[in-house]
Amino acid sequence: MANKHDNIRKEEYTEEELRGMMLSWLPPSRVPESVRIITDTSNFHMVDFDDVVILGGRPYLIRHCEREGRFTIDEQPKFWVKRAIDLTDGSKKVIKMVFHEKFTTSVGGLTFKFFRSPKKEARILDLVRGHPKFMQGFSVKDTEGNIVRIIDYIPGSTIDNRIEAQAKGHKEYYYNHFPDIFSEFISLVEAIKFLHDNGEKHGDIRRDHIIYGSSEGMYRWIDFDYNYWHQENMFSYDIFGLGNVLIYLAGQGNVTAWHLKENAPSVLEKIGQDDMNIVFRHRVANLQKIYPYISDQLAFVLKHFSGGVDTFYSDTGEFLDNLYETQKDLI
Amino acid sequence: MQSDSGKQADQTKDRHILVALDRSENAKKAALYVADFLGGMPGFRVTLLSIVPEPSEDYFETGEQRKAWIEEESSGAEKLLRNYREMLIQSGFSEDKVRMKVDVKNCPSIADCILDDQKKLGCCTIVMGRRGISKKEEFLCGSTSSTVLHCGKNCAVWVIE
Repeated sequence: MANKHDNIRKEEYTEEELRGMMLSWLPPSRVPESVRIITDTSNFHMVDFDDVVILGGRPYLIRHCEREGRFTIDEQPKFWVKRAIDLTDGSKKVIKMVFHEKFTTSVGGLTFKFFRSPKKEARILDLVRGHPKFMQGFSVKDTEGNIVRIIDYIPGSTIDNRIEAQAKGHKEYYYNHFPDIFSEFISLVEAIKFLHDNGEKHGDIRRDHIIYGSSEGMYRWIDFDYNYWHQENMFSYDIFGLGNVLIYLAGQGNVTAWHLKENAPSVLEKIGQDDMNIVFRHRVANLQKIYPYISDQLAFVLKHFSGGVDTFYSDTGEFLDNLYETQKDLI
Repeated sequence: MQSDSGKQADQTKDRHILVALDRSENAKKAALYVADFLGGMPGFRVTLLSIVPEPSEDYFETGEQRKAWIEEESSGAEKLLRNYREMLIQSGFSEDKVRMKVDVKNCPSIADCILDDQKKLGCCTIVMGRRGISKKEEFLCGSTSSTVLHCGKNCAVWVIE
């Protein structure tokens, strides 16, 4: 809906103007008595609740920090990622300020170097503009040249929350819910292929980086700011992430050796090292050993991510070809 | 004394070997193998190749940091190749038969870049080392030697372990 602030874009606002704009979106009791206006976000720790950050000529009223499950990797608050209200139209945004994080981490005993890159996320936001399977937003430079990303907030829940809530038992889930979820998964893999075809990685493919937007009724990839120092195959880590998501979706959650030991010790006896995830050795990848009604074609795909694998998916195109075959069995 | 045109004719007739090198021990084994196997034999010339993949700008906070990284890697690669060149000359290759190439380029796949150089240089053989990586490592990172083996066309590939 158009409103009186729609066309406002300017570099300077008075406190009075901003307080007036806030009254359009907040009850009077929530409008702060004084407003701190920020144009340089270099020190993101200073950007606080009720501040107004001016970016690209638009004023954004800062709300809370984002936390895990949505835009970050652990349970800590991420002070460089804030919820905000665009005071010109009242829309909810997620504002990601510049944080050049670098770290090495061990994945299955192998060391990876990761980088948090605002440039990468800004580039991908441009690339995926209008694409229904990616979060939407844009980047602007603040007065100090920091690349700040302004993301449309997606109200909803992560894919794993929805999967676990869908059915009481796996068999019911597999026959009644999984085919639809699998179709959604294919479209999400197609979206990753779109990135790869354009020379970009997602960089942090995890199930909690897939959000189901409750108002729009669709899944989207979020968070593209990670990059990793790849070796021969620049996309293999992304493909590994896709495999983990598929295993999770097919199993209605991760099935671990510990879970089997507690709940189905006789099934655990049938599971060998070759059936476990090639990297996360406590998770079962060959789920057909547990759920024998899983189709052979799906089991074939899942085994590509197991310790018993002989051939790997070297690109998302190969993976997708097998997913399309699998879909025929599920319909 | 041989004329320039005579030298050129020799170069054309020589079998051209591309030795892909990095700082690994297995690359050293590949260079030693070529020295041991072909040193002093007529009819061969060698290009020692080191690929310096231009890293994504995403890995650096500033363009200066990225430039400094590339310069450091390039000069390290040049030094490495000079040492290997000296070794091949000592093994019996004449100086004009051992060339060096440090290729700094946008390189999503090192294997593709090696194959690209092989094609451009018209080499009949690629020699490279292999680390003998685990299945898990190949799954997560890919393997340069496997990719060269599988994708190389119109050339022999010697993988030295």
